[in-house]
Amino acid sequence: MSVVAQARPRTASRWRIRPRPRPTELTLLVLVAAALVIGAASLGATQRFRATVDAGATVKALDFGPPDPRGLLVYLSALAVVHGLLVLAGRRTDQVLFPATALLGGIGLLLMQRLPQGLVTQSFFGMELLLGQLQLFWLLLALAVIALLALIVRSDAWLRTYKYTWAAAGIGLLLATFVFGSDVNGARLTLSIGPLSGQPSELLKVILVVFLAGYLSENRSLLSDESTNLGPFRLPPLPYLAPMVAMVAIALSIVVVQKDLGAALLFFAVFLALLYVATGRPSYVVGGLALFLLGSVVLYHLFGHVQQRVDNWLDPFADPLGVGYQTVQALYAFARGGLLGVGLGAGLPTISGRLPIPAVHTDYPLAALGEELGLIGLLAILGLYLVVIQRGLRIAASAHDDFRALLAAGLALVVGVQAFIIAAGNLKVIPLTGITLPFISYGGSSLLANAVVVGLLLALSDRGPEPPAVPRPGRGRLPWLRWRTR
Amino acid sequence: MDGFVLTLWLVRLLFLLALYAFLFMVVRVLLRDLRAASRGPAELGRLVVLAAPGGEPPAGTTFPLDALTTLGRDVNNAIVIDDPFASADHAVLTFRGRAWYVEDLESTNGTFVNGVPVERVAPLGFGDELQVGEVRFRLDRGRA
Repeated sequence: MSVVAQARPRTASRWRIRPRPRPTELTLLVLVAAALVIGAASLGATQRFRATVDAGATVKALDFGPPDPRGLLVYLSALAVVHGLLVLAGRRTDQVLFPATALLGGIGLLLMQRLPQGLVTQSFFGMELLLGQLQLFWLLLALAVIALLALIVRSDAWLRTYKYTWAAAGIGLLLATFVFGSDVNGARLTLSIGPLSGQPSELLKVILVVFLAGYLSENRSLLSDESTNLGPFRLPPLPYLAPMVAMVAIALSIVVVQKDLGAALLFFAVFLALLYVATGRPSYVVGGLALFLLGSVVLYHLFGHVQQRVDNWLDPFADPLGVGYQTVQALYAFARGGLLGVGLGAGLPTISGRLPIPAVHTDYPLAALGEELGLIGLLAILGLYLVVIQRGLRIAASAHDDFRALLAAGLALVVGVQAFIIAAGNLKVIPLTGITLPFISYGGSSLLANAVVVGLLLALSDRGPEPPAVPRPGRGRLPWLRWRTR
Repeated sequence: MDGFVLTLWLVRLLFLLALYAFLFMVVRVLLRDLRAASRGPAELGRLVVLAAPGGEPPAGTTFPLDALTTLGRDVNNAIVIDDPFASADHAVLTFRGRAWYVEDLESTNGTFVNGVPVERVAPLGFGDELQVGEVRFRLDRGRA
């Protein structure tokens, strides 16, 4: 199909800079900066106060200096630069999405600066970077990706036309991980190319959404109206469903073989959600959930690691010092936090020299935040994810065509569903699956993949050039001219 | 000493307050946005001309659509298609409930949706391609 994405006149004025102020975004970003500065001040003061008290000395004055003022300053100026670029680009794109993600990223940065810095270290070109600095580095890259996509993506043809190519590339990437990847915590998720290493399943979620949006928008009417008759039963149109189910099945099976259950759950949930959004048939969701239950039972009996996760979820206190250790400690952390939390920098006491939750920076950031910010803080963070989802669905609702609508809805849902899967896992609502908390968890691949999502959403939200103002007769003319025409 | 603890406690609450101040502002913006959206789009959809071999209507032209829009060669149609392969009363687009449908008015050369001939009535999704005679259109959502 040779569909031109936008029938917009392309003239020489394409590259002329026409700035357009974004007042809402600026206000929200100022609030973000204020919140982050207050948070950093609170963190620094609490940490120094506790260190002094623990050393047995008397506190003479509170020092509200942030623990890493340079890092915070760099992050805030990067936000300002991205805002400036968006203003210069002059596109009428969404103004809420970027501040919301900026606040989530900032909270993540505060958390990483607060955790023991030796948790992750990496050396770049002879420079030793600690946890907080690494997170800042990845955040800056993520902001660059957001700005780049929001500025340059104007047509969606490159996504729409090559959807099978994208799908093949994604599967290939996953297969390459399976063959050449290295094992971390019993799961083979990491692919290393030279000094760079990443988790391709994070990128695959974006690719999967692009493929599903492309396929569903082309076959939407077929899927929602046609049906396969099997005796007295009316089934969904199987021939049209087959390529999509095959694609998802391949992705799922590879992910299950790699023991990456979180990604498998995420892919399946997004697949069902998009199928429902595209067709509006509840039968797909009911059938999908039935399949999911059946699959879960089969997986539970087939795989030892699934069994272990589920048993640990049902009763973590059966082995509180072994398998259930992290789950139990996370629950204690939430309990210590209570309603208002113990304050940034006051939580997470080490137990005999080691962290109670070893994976606190990747899988359990919500437990640390729940302890230090309490229920109130957790609700605010979950509210921020809701804002991201709402913006995505709003962009989808006002999109020009089905592909853009499905793409926007899918991108927003993939972030939202991921946040809620890991939040539910942390809170022991569902078995824990090792995926990251978007924008907050430590990790380059996660931050970059979610930055791609936000950048694409910003590009998709472009409402096009402003319609010309209605000319008002009589105004702006010279009086004698008006008199003469009368 | 207790004064310090109290100050720390206040700063802590201030941080939580700042988070909610942000959320409050966002919710205000979202409410304004939703109110603007609930006034409804000015038009139900628009038809964009992708290609017209005869040059009339020229490619790139957009037609805002009413709930019932007729297409054909006859000058009494809402969208006049000056094409030798179009019938006088060729097809009609109707907006029923929440979706667009195209109805072929027994035209000589047929009406096509994404290259598939329409038998009486067919649903038409946003982004779909509609062909009448040799003129190809695309259905887009209306501008808000």
